[in-house]
Amino acid sequence: MKPSTVVIKPMPSRFKHQVPKYKVTRSDACINCGMCAKSCPYGVHERIEGHNRMRPPIDYKCIGYECRKNDEFYCVYQCPRKALSLSLNPMYETLGDCRWTSDMIIATWIMAETGYPPERTDIGYQIGNSEGGFDKLRLKFPENPPKVERDEISTEIRLNRRNDGRADVLISTPLYGGGMSFGSVSLPTMLSKAHNAKIWNTFTCTGEGGYPEMLYPYDDHVITQVATGLFGVREETIQRVKIVEFKYAQGAKPGLGGHLLGEKNTESVSRMREAVQGTSLFSPFPFHSVYSIEDHKKHIDWIKEMNPKALVSVKVSTPNDVDMVAVGSYYAGAHIIHIDGGYGGTGAAPDIAKKNIAMPIEYAIPKVHNFLKDEGARDAVTLIASGGIRTAHDLVKAICLGADGAVIGTAELVALECVRCGNCESGRGCARGIASTDSELADLFDEQWATQRIVNLYHAWNFQLVEILQKFGMKSVSELVGRTDLLEHVDYS
Amino acid sequence: MPKKYHIAIQPTPLNRDFVSKFKIVRGENCINCGKCTKVCIYEAHRRGAKDPRKIDEPHMALCRNCFRCIQECPRGALVKSLDPDFSALGGSYWKPDMLLSIWKQAEDGKVPVSGAGYRGPFTGPGFDGMWTDMSEIVRPTRDGIHGREYISTAVDLGRKLNHLTFDDTGNISSKIHQTVDLPIPIIFDIPACTLSPNVTAACVMAAESAGTFAMMPAADITADIKKYANSIIPLVSHEKSTAYQTMISSARLVAIEYAPALLYDFDSVKESIKKMSQAVTIVRIPAMTGIEDAVATLARSGAEVIHIVSDYRGMEAPGLRQRFVKEVIRAVHLRLIEERIRDEVTIIVSGGIAMAEHVPKAIICGADLTAVDIPLLIALGALLYEEPEKTLTLPDGLEKMPVATASQRIVNLIGAWHSQLLEVMGAMGIREVRRLRGETGRAIFFDEIDKDTFGKLFHQREMTSI
Repeated sequence: MKPSTVVIKPMPSRFKHQVPKYKVTRSDACINCGMCAKSCPYGVHERIEGHNRMRPPIDYKCIGYECRKNDEFYCVYQCPRKALSLSLNPMYETLGDCRWTSDMIIATWIMAETGYPPERTDIGYQIGNSEGGFDKLRLKFPENPPKVERDEISTEIRLNRRNDGRADVLISTPLYGGGMSFGSVSLPTMLSKAHNAKIWNTFTCTGEGGYPEMLYPYDDHVITQVATGLFGVREETIQRVKIVEFKYAQGAKPGLGGHLLGEKNTESVSRMREAVQGTSLFSPFPFHSVYSIEDHKKHIDWIKEMNPKALVSVKVSTPNDVDMVAVGSYYAGAHIIHIDGGYGGTGAAPDIAKKNIAMPIEYAIPKVHNFLKDEGARDAVTLIASGGIRTAHDLVKAICLGADGAVIGTAELVALECVRCGNCESGRGCARGIASTDSELADLFDEQWATQRIVNLYHAWNFQLVEILQKFGMKSVSELVGRTDLLEHVDYS
Repeated sequence: MPKKYHIAIQPTPLNRDFVSKFKIVRGENCINCGKCTKVCIYEAHRRGAKDPRKIDEPHMALCRNCFRCIQECPRGALVKSLDPDFSALGGSYWKPDMLLSIWKQAEDGKVPVSGAGYRGPFTGPGFDGMWTDMSEIVRPTRDGIHGREYISTAVDLGRKLNHLTFDDTGNISSKIHQTVDLPIPIIFDIPACTLSPNVTAACVMAAESAGTFAMMPAADITADIKKYANSIIPLVSHEKSTAYQTMISSARLVAIEYAPALLYDFDSVKESIKKMSQAVTIVRIPAMTGIEDAVATLARSGAEVIHIVSDYRGMEAPGLRQRFVKEVIRAVHLRLIEERIRDEVTIIVSGGIAMAEHVPKAIICGADLTAVDIPLLIALGALLYEEPEKTLTLPDGLEKMPVATASQRIVNLIGAWHSQLLEVMGAMGIREVRRLRGETGRAIFFDEIDKDTFGKLFHQREMTSI
């Protein structure tokens, strides 16, 4: 169920054109009769009042081959001169990749615009094309599930399961926003993520790099990060929030420290990070004060002492021994274990690290889930997965594999019309204004537009989650945790 | 403190474009309004230099695929597509993106960095079927970026003793073999194709500058590159070695082309080389069915260094079943361990080493070091095609490229690979590349983990009732 603060409003693209999947070609046989413009309900064909000639077809509005069934208006059939033809647009191949396919990006844009999954059936957005992991898992729905009404279904999860007297933090959807630091994304991006977290009664994370004042109105929905560089970490920031996160590593570049280039260390960034302007800032790997679980416990105790209300989350990446690390974190007193898989997003990381270091999240989730279970600790800790959760279906699969919920990063940015071109850090930063602090580029959209797009995306995901729970006949998302029997893998059995 | 190993990279752009991934065509309905020139932050769209009323053809080498021009052109006049010339490059092993990446690294010598998550397939054949591992808390051996200067990538080539023996007086009685030290686990294997003298010279000059060696047929070593003799490994057949006596006498490493005869009488071949020179010998043997037997035999009969050469896609010679070099190395490594002679011999592997990550991965599988071949030429602008058959197209005018420029580009590539090797070693918590050899515990193999995870979960499972 969505919280009452969530209001869905259509929020269209900020660009004149979308990326077209199809190409509508008008041949010389066209006599400009205007029949197509009259019949197409999507506005592909247009003739400006008083003009003799038709405008070139607006490809991106076309719904493609599935329009064939619409005898009464399918332009290719309607054209009296048979001057129109339909084909796949070569432009479409240049968008996306095998993890985030062009269909998945377009579908995410539609969700961010409308708040619902696409009605078009020609967009295959539930799985990607990576040929492994989530993309080979399928949901196995029972034939006769118990009947459950949509409004009976709860998507809420508890983040504190330790029964230690600390706050019982609930989030309304099993999803929150990943850490993106001040400076790595533009201000409207950061604020819209936080605003969405408030609207959806969930969280967003500051990343490493301090707690900007603009986030104060969202304090109750912000996770502040204590990362290896300890940049911007102050007693005051730790006391502000409900959740404090220790970041040991990031899935996209595990084992490597962060590196903020000197030129990005501007006046405001350096003030926030309490560092000297213009110097390169390194976050080492690992925490130089943590070489054992005991050291780790000391850190957690330190946070708990400083903020007696806060929950502690521990973010780790996924080496082979991630299960042991997770259990160690549980014994050290963590409330949330956040595992970040090797194929996660980043503002900048060496390609060699993104591709090769540590294991994909699909293996890490069951590994950690089962190890915690065997240790008798699973019920006392919240397991959050991230690193390659692209769709509501990935979220459901992650939960079936053993997670309680997930953290998303890239998907939120795609809602803001990121095309995943990967140039976040080069030169002036993101050409589309999402991950840039360039004065001109960071102004390409406003916070209000961005907030509504993310709210809509969360709604579309929640809508799909509820739909799936309904098909399973479940009343709560917590019933889904660890239900690998509801999954099947195309390579096995 | 000994002098630190350093590869001197230097931006070395060539006055030409390589290949572009994308193509943008400006339609006839373009009204030259200039919106694209304003929205493109990479300056791929510019007004004409001669006639500013017209917009130039898009400069595709600068395009970064941000889609701003496509989405903001008021007339929808720009059409982007994958450039067919790009898609036709390489093939199933040498992905077009790899060639582009090699070209860029040769240009700036930097580690390729990008934003957003990994874009490729989940797993794949060959080296793509494994991940390197790292550790979170429990192995306090890493130090991130700051620890890099303490990571050693040095390897030594030659025969090593299994153990030392001492005489009654406590002095070492074992004869310590001579070895050759390299600061990086990479040597150059100059591809066997007709190369102009400047290219060969660039390869050996780059080898010298990076502190490593270039292997080439002795017959091709011309007078003009003899000054780099210290960085050249002459390759000879065992029958003709005496013909190159002077060359061999001054070499530090000599490679001998494999012939079955070597299996029966390696000793005398080695003997004849040792008579001419102090050089450490390398046996260069093609990867083929039964290679582990041949390598073990050679190792037992005193081979010092064995260079296993697979084809350009990392496959062994066609046989009963053709293995990828990763499997070949693992088989050879394990065989030598079983026979308890692994540490006595050095294994070099080549063929299909196309990306920086292939170096640590080959080493994890059991090689001591790798040899790089085709990327040396891609760095200079060569194009490789796998279909319909292997074709290496050298760029026009390559024979006129200054040796210093060509050499610097190769140095840049190796410099970038070295930095990437440090990155993954840092993440793994390995401070010596020698200790990475055969360390499969620092890798995750797709076949194993997938079966271990999903195989257990999904194999013939019944659905439980809800």
